[in-house]
Amino acid sequence: MSQIIISIGREFGSGGRVIAQALAERFGLPLYDRHLITEIAEKMGMTVEQVEKYNEVPKMKLLSRRVNGYSNSIEDNIAEMQFNIIDEKAASGESFVVVGRCSETKLKKYPGLVSLFILGDMDAKIERVMKVYELNREDAEKFIAKKDKKRKRYHNYHVIGKWGDSRLYDLSVNSSKLGIDKTVDMLADYINARSEALK
Amino acid sequence: MVAAQTFAVIIFVGMFIMIVLDKIERQYVTLGSGLLTLVVVFGLCMKKGSAIVRTLALGDFFKKDFWYQVEESESAGINWATIIFIAGMMLMVEGMAKAGFFRWLCMKIAFLVKCKTIPVFLTFTILAAVLSMFIDSITVIMFLAAVTVELAHLLKFNPIPMILSEIFCANLGGSATMCGDPPNIIIGTSLGFSFFDFLLNTGVAAGISLVVSVIFLYLAFRKELVTKDGEKIDISKLPKPSEAITNKKDFIISSIIFGCAVVLLITHGTTHLTVATIGLFIGIITLIANAKHASEILKKVDYKTLLFFIGLFIVVSGLEETQILDKIAEFIENISGGDVRLMIAIIVWVSAIASAFVDNIPFAATMVPVIKNLAAASGTPISTLAWALAIGTDIGGSATPIGASANVVGTSVAAKNGHPISWARYCKKLAPATVIVLTISTIYLFVRYV
Repeated sequence: MSQIIISIGREFGSGGRVIAQALAERFGLPLYDRHLITEIAEKMGMTVEQVEKYNEVPKMKLLSRRVNGYSNSIEDNIAEMQFNIIDEKAASGESFVVVGRCSETKLKKYPGLVSLFILGDMDAKIERVMKVYELNREDAEKFIAKKDKKRKRYHNYHVIGKWGDSRLYDLSVNSSKLGIDKTVDMLADYINARSEALK
Repeated sequence: MVAAQTFAVIIFVGMFIMIVLDKIERQYVTLGSGLLTLVVVFGLCMKKGSAIVRTLALGDFFKKDFWYQVEESESAGINWATIIFIAGMMLMVEGMAKAGFFRWLCMKIAFLVKCKTIPVFLTFTILAAVLSMFIDSITVIMFLAAVTVELAHLLKFNPIPMILSEIFCANLGGSATMCGDPPNIIIGTSLGFSFFDFLLNTGVAAGISLVVSVIFLYLAFRKELVTKDGEKIDISKLPKPSEAITNKKDFIISSIIFGCAVVLLITHGTTHLTVATIGLFIGIITLIANAKHASEILKKVDYKTLLFFIGLFIVVSGLEETQILDKIAEFIENISGGDVRLMIAIIVWVSAIASAFVDNIPFAATMVPVIKNLAAASGTPISTLAWALAIGTDIGGSATPIGASANVVGTSVAAKNGHPISWARYCKKLAPATVIVLTISTIYLFVRYV
């Protein structure tokens, strides 16, 4: 089977991570999400908590400076490490599923890349976040806004192209319309078709 | 004139904000702002072609003074001497790095002190200061920090204290000479000072400060500078210094070129060769000596920084031609009431605080015409104010992780190797060290020049 890399961008509360997990299981591929943090922590002799603190977080611009590709910002350096790890994996020919990390752009050069963006209706996202994080409606709404803002800033800082812009991805799907399971089925069909086309 | 002044200030402030926001690469920011200055300030508002000609300063290349200078002279507009000198040194440094010079030097010194943590700490911090006197601190820290991390992993000590000390001493060493830090090159070429002028003035302050700093940093970090569990070091496992040399012939040639650069810089007060001539000569010699790889070396030159400088000089000329900088000089003179001590203190500490948070290069470029006016208006020797400005901008940058390029490179190399350095971690020891050095330097300036 030729290499397949499934990149999943997601709005917070859209079920993107669950969909990524389901696709990874269905295709028998490793899923790289939090695992990347563990890998970096192990490689660098840091604790998972240390890395987690700076994971997919945009840097504080006023406290950061970049000189000839070097940055004092820990957020930037952790991001760079994650980009390097997924690129190394892709370059080695490995097939995998990766969540976030600007992977739709960072791995664009690999023909096996299938980039997906999962969004959702606000009401459905709120319901989901209320349930998963045991929050009231108001807090869930604020939490979603905060998380999405961070993801957007992180993405738009590291790569050219706007986070969530359908032109950046092969397919953007609203998971609220079919529900998680049927969305996974639909995406699996699409990935199979792409995989066939690669042969 | 009011319209021209307003636009000059808006363009300058806008440029600073854009540099801090880091949305657009900084060379585009300064070049765009420079173009706006030429068109809007000089063209539309002042309708003065002569201001544009003065600012572009292309005539400088055809003046004998630009290449061979018997008497001190000042320059205005784009400081081409700075740009040519930096470009030449960039070529030389690329040649040296390619031959493995810096890695060899770091490993050699580590082996000479038998790779023991404390001696490595002392020699590496002093090496950082000495190398930074002649070479840009970015290159010095890039190699020193990388070797420090490598040694730390093999010898099992925490590299952060050592990297922080190297950064601090690199910035300090840079303040000692005219070519050590970009603000000094700008100050020196704009006001007609030589390498030796700097060495005998800021160099003395840097020397005294270096002794105090090394003692302070050692005391501050001594508990962290121990190898884990007092493990025995087997230096035979370490990579040999000779392994760092990629090509022996290139290595010898690049060492000779570096030696030539040092000699030319030290003697340029007596040979009357300007830094522009030295930069051009060193650059050309490097390319000839590395003829086979000349295009590769040329490609590695950091053109972005050179373009950044060109744009920056134009924007600062906008402030100069519209006499905005005269007003700042007047303001400093008024609040100091003509007291030289107060003037020195204001220049040192304001420059230092500003340089701790914003790039010290635009700050120094802006302040040079200010101190020129201030010296003329107050009767204070320009040299006294120049040393105050150089010390303030060079040393102030050490206080925070974003104050100077070396700090960014050092903290980044550490983070990439699993040793992230937060603002708190950085400032806890280096901010007090900066205050100590600034205090020593202020006292030095008072005692020697007032």
